[in-house]
Amino acid sequence: MADYAVRITRLNYSYPDGTKALEGIDLDVRAGERVALVGPSGAGKSTLLLHLNGVLSGAGTVRILGQAIEGGDLREIRKQVGMVFQDPNDQLFCPTVFEDVAFGPLNLEIPSEEIPKRVEKVLRDVGLEQSVRLRSSHHLSLGERKRAALAAVLVMEPSILALDEPTSNLDPRNRRHLIEVVGGLPATLLLATHDLEMALSLCPRLVVMDRGKIWADGNTRSLLSDAHLMEDHGLEVPLSLRTLGNVRGD
Amino acid sequence: MKHSFIDRYSALDSPLHLLDARTKLVGFTVLIAAVLWIPPGKPFAFFAYFFLTAILMGISQIPLTYIAARTLVILPFVLLAGLALPWKTGAGFALFSTLLLRSSLCLLILILLTNTTRFVELLRGLRRMGCPAILVMNLGFLYRYLFVLTEEVMRMRQARDCRRVGRARAAAEMKLLGSMLGTLLLRSFERAERMYQAMLSRGSCGEFPILAPRRFTWRDPAFLAGLGFFIWVAGYLN
Repeated sequence: MADYAVRITRLNYSYPDGTKALEGIDLDVRAGERVALVGPSGAGKSTLLLHLNGVLSGAGTVRILGQAIEGGDLREIRKQVGMVFQDPNDQLFCPTVFEDVAFGPLNLEIPSEEIPKRVEKVLRDVGLEQSVRLRSSHHLSLGERKRAALAAVLVMEPSILALDEPTSNLDPRNRRHLIEVVGGLPATLLLATHDLEMALSLCPRLVVMDRGKIWADGNTRSLLSDAHLMEDHGLEVPLSLRTLGNVRGD
Repeated sequence: MKHSFIDRYSALDSPLHLLDARTKLVGFTVLIAAVLWIPPGKPFAFFAYFFLTAILMGISQIPLTYIAARTLVILPFVLLAGLALPWKTGAGFALFSTLLLRSSLCLLILILLTNTTRFVELLRGLRRMGCPAILVMNLGFLYRYLFVLTEEVMRMRQARDCRRVGRARAAAEMKLLGSMLGTLLLRSFERAERMYQAMLSRGSCGEFPILAPRRFTWRDPAFLAGLGFFIWVAGYLN
């Protein structure tokens, strides 16, 4: 395996209407590393994640496990980079949960006799009962839909997992469960989130993004404790760090 | 929010449920065509087809109350169509009863088709019978996202109701409705874009691959042969 799971060099991206979404992004993520991308809404976090599997392509270089996306084998790259979207309704488009989870492996031409075993295992891993497999995703609660969307990606056994706001709109129990599931995964993790407590508990490294740029990159606890940095980029020091009293610049 | 699914009883385990979707698509389409073919003033033929449909309903194990409730949905449309009939000439009643019987029978057959076959199986059946992939995929998305859109409309209506007191004038109401529809359309475009990105992310090339499709068994040709025989006998006796 390459030393760097993700290498992004001078990445720029503008939306078709001319809005600059990413400006000069340089980011290296080592294999097995867990990185949280934080920043205000519209900072470019989701846009950056969509560059990891070539769904969006801007100017600059994005390398996944040593392979450049530009001109690379997108099928192989999309097998390696699992992307979980913010709204599970965008991701669960098949008539049943089983088919949604099987959609990726079928596209990757994994032998059909292996797919049901994989689907059942991954549904178990994310804590979904086997009874949901033949249900439509309209029948699931938001927490279950989020887990199904995660299962739909984990079943492809990606080396890199990109999660976009995985805990948004979840109740505390479902949030805690999802954090436990994600925390137990061996993949390299890039997590775009507003949930700073989750970033603190899951990711040793934090990247602060704002207006399409990276403003800080370092130890999660240290950056989240910097009240000025948080304030400047529309964030807040997490409550758990405030109560511990190790906030700088307050 | 509670949704009404057209394939609500498709997970039952009756002999009709075990048939391949293609068998049911062909069989029930032929049955509908035969019902439409019955000329007015042939009560025996209608009785025969009602009898057959009743047997199929019994075999399907779908609750009668559900079937009855669904069938009533068609009544307003039939009554509306009945307004255009030539009531003054005396042929109105015969035509109206034929219209009512035909539409009720067709609806009963469609209820049987959709409640003995999961929607996904129907789509697969259509695809395997040569229906274009893009059409089948769009039907699938329509069914999947109709509920999401319905919920979105409900939320927009609630948001509207929370910010107004009393009824607005008709013109203002229409203007509001227009802007709500426009917003819904834009949101649908955005959702479609995100869905496409999600599909690409999981290696899609535009096709919906099928895992372990249901195979033809001896039941399928037997069902089609039985149905064909019944239609032939009913036609012969008429």
